Amino acid sequence: MKTAGFLVAFSMFAGLAAAQQVKWNYDKLAARASDSVDIDLDGSLLRLAAKFLSNDDPDQAKARKMVEGLKGIYVKTFEFKNPGEYSPADVDALRAQLRPGDWQRIVGVHSKEEGEDVDVYIKSEAKGIGGLAIIAAEPKELTLVNIVGPIDLDSLSELGGHFNIPELDVEKKKK
Amino acid sequence: MNLEDELRSALRRKEPSPEFTERVLARAYGAPVRRAPRPWARWVAAMAASVLLAAGAIGYREYRGERARSQVLLALRIAGGKLNKAQKKVQMLNAAHRSNS
Repeated sequence: MKTAGFLVAFSMFAGLAAAQQVKWNYDKLAARASDSVDIDLDGSLLRLAAKFLSNDDPDQAKARKMVEGLKGIYVKTFEFKNPGEYSPADVDALRAQLRPGDWQRIVGVHSKEEGEDVDVYIKSEAKGIGGLAIIAAEPKELTLVNIVGPIDLDSLSELGGHFNIPELDVEKKKK
Repeated sequence: MNLEDELRSALRRKEPSPEFTERVLARAYGAPVRRAPRPWARWVAAMAASVLLAAGAIGYREYRGERARSQVLLALRIAGGKLNKAQKKVQMLNAAHRSNS
């Protein structure tokens, strides 16, 4: 009886985690891309990775702390040989896959000058942010990010500033 | 000499030379002997196989862990970089808005 209860609870938990994962449909884009990066890390791989992240390196220690509570990280980057190999309609189709009831867009940056669009979506939960999705479109590159689980955006942005990416001094509100 | 004498001479009993016994014994002890496997040899073989399997499993786990580690760092670098870029744009727009107003 206890086992059955555990299995039901486990399947509900797994279902919840799967519900937060975005199942992007990007077959058309994949066919046109010249190169792509595909990272699929589920909960068990993240726990394994956390054991291999060094505590001596400050960035890796931060990454380890962040990863320990997550249920999945999924990143897909498509690179194209020439600008215009994907259309704005393709990006709109990806945006439409994030259902408004589940996902809330918190940042939408569109730069005509640089031809860059970045949309940041979060999935709100009672305890805070339960998931993150990013759609970043550049003339020759399209990136999709989905992080499943509680994520601290400031820490993530901070990590983005490290690893050889210039850091940004974001104004933080004093409490 | 008739046939009977020739046969008797050919078939008469001869004593072997003293070296004969030594040669026979030397050949008998020098021949390879098939022995039953010793019981501890099987245990040693089983333990060696177990150690090899365990070493293989540990090596594979190390490989998967290192791969997962580098993938996590790359994923966070990409995700953090995009988020950072969006924040930078927002900050620039805010700064421009403030200077205009």
